[in-house]
Amino acid sequence: MPGLRNTIRELRADQNMTQQELADAIGVTRQTVIAIELDKYSPSLETAFKIAQVFRVPLEQVFQYEAGRKK
Amino acid sequence: MGSLSYQERTLWGSLVAELVVYLPYFFLNLHRANSVNKVAGTIFAIIVLQIIVQSIIAAATRHRITDERDKIIQLRGYRAGYLTWVTLMVVGLAMLWFHSMAGDFPIHAGFVGLHFLNVFFGMLVISDIVKTVAQIVAYRRDS
Repeated sequence: MPGLRNTIRELRADQNMTQQELADAIGVTRQTVIAIELDKYSPSLETAFKIAQVFRVPLEQVFQYEAGRKK
Repeated sequence: MGSLSYQERTLWGSLVAELVVYLPYFFLNLHRANSVNKVAGTIFAIIVLQIIVQSIIAAATRHRITDERDKIIQLRGYRAGYLTWVTLMVVGLAMLWFHSMAGDFPIHAGFVGLHFLNVFFGMLVISDIVKTVAQIVAYRRDS
């Protein structure tokens, strides 16, 4: 089953950002950030772009699509 | 409770309120009284209790955000509730028809009306509880 993986946890650690701070910056709950980090929830395109903007990196550096990866 | 989002807290609050009001109604034989007043009283009680519970939760929660994941989970809950309601509708109507055919209750307007009221009210209550539980399960599964 195809799936998304992401590097949000690493990017947050690099910028000393908490899950709550990221959640506030992109307008979602902390629980949603946790679900995204754990690859249990795939965010909308809009939220994905917002996350990339917060970290000032290209979208593909935050999210990678892996065909055949089980979610 | 600290790790729960505002939406999850409201769902747990709803579930508790629903169980507190509906369990006595269905399991303490209150519905057997076959009274419109009992149904109206139960509906009034759930509305009052929900207002109180949700007000407390809102006052105790700092981040009251609803995001895209909440909306998706809400839709999943509504789907589960709707499917339950449709299924129970068919079963409930079939049971009413079966009982009336078997002569379990006399068919005259008032009596059948109250039976319908009880059956439909029961279906709405069960569907609502299924909707709430489905949403809680979705939150737990995704976190």
